[in-house]
Amino acid sequence: MSSNAIIETHDLVKIFKGSSEPVVKGISFSVERNEVFGLLGPNGAGKTTTISILCGLFPPASGTVTIDGMSLQGDLAGIKQIVGVVPQDIALYPTLSARENLHFYGNMYGVTGKALKDKIELWLDNFGLSDAADRRVSTYSGGMKRRVNLIAGILHDPKILFLDEPTVGVDVQSRNVIIEHLQALNKKGTTIIYTSHHMEEAEHFCTQVAIIDYGRIIAKGSPKELIAAYPDCANLEAVFLQLTKRKLRD
Amino acid sequence: MNKLKAAIIKEVLLLIRDRVGLAILFIMPMILIFVMTLIQDSAFKTLNEKGIPIVFVNNDQDSLGIDIGKGLRSSELCTVHDSINGKPATAETARQAVAEGQFLVGIVIPAGATEAVRKNVMQLVEQTLSTDSVIETAVPDSVDIRIFIDPITKKSFIASVTSSLREFISGIKTKIMFRSFADQIAEIIPGKKKTPSNAFGQTQIIRYEEIYASKSIGEIVPNAVQHNVPAWAIFAMFFIVMPLSGSIMKEKTEGSIFRLHTMPSSYLMLINGKIIVYVVVCLLQLALMLSVGLLFLPMLGLPVLDMGHSIPGVLIISVATAFAATGYAVMVGTIASTEQQGAIMGALSILLLSALGGIWVPTYVMPQMMRNLSAFSPLNWSLEGFYELFLRGGDAAAIMGSAIKLMIFFVITMFIASMVNRVKRKI
Repeated sequence: MSSNAIIETHDLVKIFKGSSEPVVKGISFSVERNEVFGLLGPNGAGKTTTISILCGLFPPASGTVTIDGMSLQGDLAGIKQIVGVVPQDIALYPTLSARENLHFYGNMYGVTGKALKDKIELWLDNFGLSDAADRRVSTYSGGMKRRVNLIAGILHDPKILFLDEPTVGVDVQSRNVIIEHLQALNKKGTTIIYTSHHMEEAEHFCTQVAIIDYGRIIAKGSPKELIAAYPDCANLEAVFLQLTKRKLRD
Repeated sequence: MNKLKAAIIKEVLLLIRDRVGLAILFIMPMILIFVMTLIQDSAFKTLNEKGIPIVFVNNDQDSLGIDIGKGLRSSELCTVHDSINGKPATAETARQAVAEGQFLVGIVIPAGATEAVRKNVMQLVEQTLSTDSVIETAVPDSVDIRIFIDPITKKSFIASVTSSLREFISGIKTKIMFRSFADQIAEIIPGKKKTPSNAFGQTQIIRYEEIYASKSIGEIVPNAVQHNVPAWAIFAMFFIVMPLSGSIMKEKTEGSIFRLHTMPSSYLMLINGKIIVYVVVCLLQLALMLSVGLLFLPMLGLPVLDMGHSIPGVLIISVATAFAATGYAVMVGTIASTEQQGAIMGALSILLLSALGGIWVPTYVMPQMMRNLSAFSPLNWSLEGFYELFLRGGDAAAIMGSAIKLMIFFVITMFIASMVNRVKRKI
């Protein structure tokens, strides 16, 4: 593990029950502290599975993960204290209001009392949700749900934040607000691991990216380095298409 | 502690905002208690052999008819009616009314029945005291008391009722015969003192004492209220499998469980929040159902619920039932993979376990094989506990067996839920 690496994975393999083909086939990478690390890849490439393993949702079939010096297999409880997760699907209770959802999730992360209340108010205000905070989440637009979904993962000021397609299905306005606040979090010291299909967004937002396809990392580096490595490509999306080809994926 | 408190608050909010779930929890069982108790009231009267509706036609209007009528009216066995739809009953209308199910039994005493009995006695006395070696024996007039029986009535019940009636009528006939004998002998043998009027009673040298094998000496007997109120309260408590397993399933399908599994909180803590809320819900359900039995059913002319003499016993069996019901719901919610699967699995299993456990019909009217099977239903353990308290006058110690079985059931269901959850997470 390099001295500044906060996440280090080595030869991760994941095979789901009932499947003979691994979804993740020996992925190794490291993430430096305070980086915004993008895991990019087409549908079914293994991005969400990799993130799910890293945040302890299920164990790998083989391979090792070390997060902030703690082994995933040996100190999962410790890891859960320092990571925040923003899942791809909206993980909120639709019949509760945004404030009630955030109060519950904040408590589950161990943030309580006035500290929690202040954080909830701050983030609701930052994301323009104060006026709708007491409405049931089921009445929200997709963009509003996405914003609450994000707040629920950052209430405890995590050292590492896993974001699985945090801007999928939202309008440009919401996307810009989300990215701006994520950049602000990163400036304050939060390491971000992020997956997305938006290559332009990733190119602008990430300091390092790894392109995954068919469960393997096929390219790694900063967006600039990757673009430079492929002279025919003007941007990250072109690099991505050159590497992953145009064949449709499931 | 804050996490548990937050989990409880979340669960309460989810529950009170689920109107259909609340209706299933509180309104449906209340309706069930009202409907089932009213429907089963007459059936339970039959089972108890109390208040059986009887139409009585007395064409005799003499000692036999009058005594039978008096005897029937003073018996708890039946409710005697001598008119049908406001008109005096006749043999024909009585037969019709029984055939239509208006009465379970109809009794017709023919005209001249008493006179016929007296005549028979006179003939017998004459024959007995005659010195002629050859006596012309006249065929005695027969007394045909007709008993109409509703054909749909259970055979064992018919046998029991007709046997009681025959015994009763036969007793009165014997009494009249005894009196007639005494009068005849007094006439034939001059100087013989008239037999005292209570002499017949003195001849009953064998008596029967019936004692209920119960601590409350038969003061409380099973009726529709005593059965249905605890039975449907237990059913309602176990029916929380619908909203609770639904709540667990929703957390899976709506993605909350994904986030919760990535948080520094244990699955057990999350489930504990649910268990605490739903145990309280179960106890509220029970309190509501008992209040229906105590306050509302009597307004409909039904007996008031008798809760026995042991409040601690009621509390112990209620809490044990609430935990068993909650544990079962958590297990179903954990095993099921979709909301529909959970709903079907939960509803069907509770219907089966309740039928087996004697909720729909008491186990004592079931065939032996089903009675043996009912011992495997947690709803039966709970119902037996309530029977012990409400019917047999038992105390807290008497229901400990049932309560322990229910708590063991809770521990087993939680263990299974925990194992299934572990296996499911190892995808």
